[in-house]
Amino acid sequence: MRWTLAMRLLVRNWRSGEQRILVAALVIAVAASTTIGFFTDRLGRGMENQSADFLGADLALVSAHPVNASWLHRARVEGLQALETLEFASMVVGNDDLLLSSVKAVQDGFPLRGKLKTARAPFAADAVTDALPQAGEAWAAPQVLTTLGLEVGDSIDVGEYPFIITRVITFEPGQVRDPLGVAPRLLIRMTDVPATGVVQPGSRLSWQYLFAGSDNNIAAYRRWLEPQLESGHELIGVKEGRRAVGSALERAERYLGLSVLAAIILAGVAVAMAAKRYSERHYDTSAMLRCLGASQKDLLGLYIPQLMVMGIIASAIGCLLGWVAQFGLLYLLADLLPASTVSAHFWPVWAGFSTGMITLAGFALPPIIRLKAVPPLRVLRRDLLPLPLRAWLVYGAALVAIVLVMWRYTDSWPLTLSVLAGGIGLVALLSLIAWLLLLMSQRLNTRVGVAWRFGLNSLWRRARSSISQIIAFGLTLMAMAIVTLVRTDLMTTWQRQLPADVPNHFAINVLPHQVTGFQTFMGEKNIDTSQLYPMIRGRLVTINTLPVREAVTKEARKNNALNRELNLTWTSKLQEDNHIEAGRWWVPEDTGKALVSVESQLANRLGIALGDTLGFSVGGQQFSAEVASIRSVQWDSFQPNFYMVFPPQVIDKFPATYMASFYLSQEQKSLLRTLVGQYPAITVLELDQVIEQVTKIFRQVTLTVEYVLLFTLLAGFTVLFAALQSSQDDRLYEGALLRTLGGSRAQLRAGHLAEFCALGVLAGLLAAMGTECLAWVLYSEVLHLDYHFHWLLWLIMPAVGALLIGVAGFWGTREVVERSPMLLLRNQQG
Amino acid sequence: MITTRNLSKRVETAVGSLDILTGIDLEIEAGEAVAIVGVSGSGKSTLLGLLAGLDLPSAGDVFLSHYRLNELDEDGRAKVRAELVGFVFQSFQLLSSLTALENVMLPLELKGEKNPQEKATQLLHRVGLEERLTHYPKQLSGGEQQRVAIARAFVTEPAILFADEPTGNLDNVTGERIIELLFGLNQEKGTTLVLVTHDEHLADRCGRLIRLEAGRITSNKKNGSID
Repeated sequence: MRWTLAMRLLVRNWRSGEQRILVAALVIAVAASTTIGFFTDRLGRGMENQSADFLGADLALVSAHPVNASWLHRARVEGLQALETLEFASMVVGNDDLLLSSVKAVQDGFPLRGKLKTARAPFAADAVTDALPQAGEAWAAPQVLTTLGLEVGDSIDVGEYPFIITRVITFEPGQVRDPLGVAPRLLIRMTDVPATGVVQPGSRLSWQYLFAGSDNNIAAYRRWLEPQLESGHELIGVKEGRRAVGSALERAERYLGLSVLAAIILAGVAVAMAAKRYSERHYDTSAMLRCLGASQKDLLGLYIPQLMVMGIIASAIGCLLGWVAQFGLLYLLADLLPASTVSAHFWPVWAGFSTGMITLAGFALPPIIRLKAVPPLRVLRRDLLPLPLRAWLVYGAALVAIVLVMWRYTDSWPLTLSVLAGGIGLVALLSLIAWLLLLMSQRLNTRVGVAWRFGLNSLWRRARSSISQIIAFGLTLMAMAIVTLVRTDLMTTWQRQLPADVPNHFAINVLPHQVTGFQTFMGEKNIDTSQLYPMIRGRLVTINTLPVREAVTKEARKNNALNRELNLTWTSKLQEDNHIEAGRWWVPEDTGKALVSVESQLANRLGIALGDTLGFSVGGQQFSAEVASIRSVQWDSFQPNFYMVFPPQVIDKFPATYMASFYLSQEQKSLLRTLVGQYPAITVLELDQVIEQVTKIFRQVTLTVEYVLLFTLLAGFTVLFAALQSSQDDRLYEGALLRTLGGSRAQLRAGHLAEFCALGVLAGLLAAMGTECLAWVLYSEVLHLDYHFHWLLWLIMPAVGALLIGVAGFWGTREVVERSPMLLLRNQQG
Repeated sequence: MITTRNLSKRVETAVGSLDILTGIDLEIEAGEAVAIVGVSGSGKSTLLGLLAGLDLPSAGDVFLSHYRLNELDEDGRAKVRAELVGFVFQSFQLLSSLTALENVMLPLELKGEKNPQEKATQLLHRVGLEERLTHYPKQLSGGEQQRVAIARAFVTEPAILFADEPTGNLDNVTGERIIELLFGLNQEKGTTLVLVTHDEHLADRCGRLIRLEAGRITSNKKNGSID
């Protein structure tokens, strides 16, 4: 019975439009959460697919020996595609000339992810292909052809077998991991390998096993495989394989999480405000119902089911809108999204729905519960109010809701709790500041015109509600500001990382006697070239005189740096994108001293500290150097970078080749032919494809970030309107009173405008303070961006606040001057 | 039907405590119609609130039928109200989101009675609003709204009806009609009627008149009798 009555009341109240704001706020919260959930899930997986295109697979296992055949069998049983490829270095012969080439033998189906790109001639336009070399054919990197003076159609010998070169290979998934470590590529069929006779016991080989399949299958297989790996095995997943884009993606993911959180909390605040007003408008009804004999339980039995049904309906609408909205976004981003469509998972619906219900319970339940405490005597004395709810109930419920939602997005208790503690402290501090600001504005009161006096007085008279409005608006502006600010700084950081003239070519194997000629050539052609760095291949053999394998942890033994030769260099000038984290960079006196600067991630993994002595082996000669600095390196900057850097005159006795990076526009590409013609030994690596891929991912992320920002802004506006609505009843009554006392409409409007502008300025100031504090924490702790003081914020925020809240308030209170004062006063009295 | 013993109400104010009612002893029989009159601030509405169990006295007792209201908690008193009491207010107190019919159905629905619609429709016919069943309060005139309130008050056939200035918001002619309706129904249903009013004409229609001055009963007499 109660249920039927509750539903009937719900329908009747709905017709009168009372719950619409509450439902709208909730719909926005759920729609934001669901859209972003769907979208980031799909885009995130789409981006992982692109990274998989990079890797050529979802998972790759690299090994120096063939692995147990049962491993591949197991992968196929688990529903994965599995392929093996073989790489080996071999001297190839063409035109009676020799070249060290990196030969890769592949099977049908290669690559499992992404596409090969080929061209008809070196440096000619390339295109995507699904084909592979036929038996007896080889595809060669441009350097093979230019170095050996061959053309497509010529013959090239690998071991004992002559291959015909049929295409030039320009992009190969999986090759970008270490472009400098790879000699120019020759791609052949696996079935042709035995005929070459190159693969003998003791040959240095690298087997790569590629796997692709659904996320779950890959994860399950990985769990099965990992414990069986031995030293010499290296497993590369999509995340490990995307070093170039890794940091950008991680920051973007954190940013998206942050924006969703901001949107949901803002919508929660709007829900709380709307629920409070809904509750206040039902005091009379509750008193009347109590008068007619309804018990407290009856009242809860009438209102809570209404709230629940509203929540379910709003959440369902929100989910539906979210689902539709993500299609819109996917459509808009269609050009950028990977062609392989990623189907939608169901979890965002579930997550959106639970977000809706949690938000409703946390923010709307306390004011609704208050209805049961309305005294029945209110039917005779309208000034009687229910006892205020205990603060712990109101804030406790909201906090629990926030914690739950936050935990879902951060997936980390320490982070959730520390952000929460910070948040509570911030709100307390903001309340104090809001009160002080209000007090200061009150002082101005005697020095301003009548409209401003009316407005400022009005703020002061409702000090409590003004403070909560200043905080609500302040937090809203703050959320909007922080999300915008972070977006701008993320973009700037990315753009700085990848400017239009980011080096897109590396020249390696420049011989010492060619250095001057190379520099002159580049100078004459006006090509922007980096410093030329000497490159010496060497191995790290001891740490503090202990053989390196004994000196490091078991885990670190798998590290690639131990298994292959490293590029060593020397320079007196610290590279621009490097940063000394410990120790110091070379001073002129260090020249000739046995010192070395180590890259920080490698130092970390191998447990190398400042002052340690490292032993190196170069071409069979041993020498040692003391670690003088630990250096962070921005690996995704496309500049030449090194793990080990020595001061001048320490390792220059060893034979070195030189390398440099430079930028060439598409029109300048033909210069490469001239360069390679003049210096046939120089190998030029083209990174255009890699850069294009990275740029494309950044563009996608940028667009996503902008859409997410839109939702946060939308949620912010609901707060704005809910807050205006919450003080509407008081304002209507006061406005009516003032008009009966002879106040003109113009005076009232000017007063309202002044009041809201003042509110906006105060909220803007508060938001500027909060934004600076929060940005500082976020930048340094979460997003790892450089923090700088945003002085412009202190001008813009109050102005934006005044404009936004002034206009919205002015528009929202137009009813105050339009409705008949007689009617309003009678209603208020009755 | 209604008994009070030494009933007092004292409230604390900023300037000290204030006695609103002092030593009220009353006995109201079933079926009686009693008017409580007095100037503004004499304590009429406070007394009505106490008699109906909407508020608790500072001292003394209120008995409604066989219930001692002071002993009951707020939910207990609500139950007594649901069982025994109907209300008519000066400001009508209709729920604006409900139609006339739905407003009248409400107390029946709260009591969990069957066929609330049928009974409510009957009552609205009785008060002459058969054409107005689906109208919302704001679509009705003041007199019509008060008739809906009267229908709502009588629909549960309460033993006692409390009315607070039922004609206070109405013009004379409409007020007169409302008075006729109220007393007509009162007689039909045999309800005990307690009404608070300024309106001497209305008070005269009651069988007994209780006058309050500064929170004390200064006269309590049957209409037509001599002081």
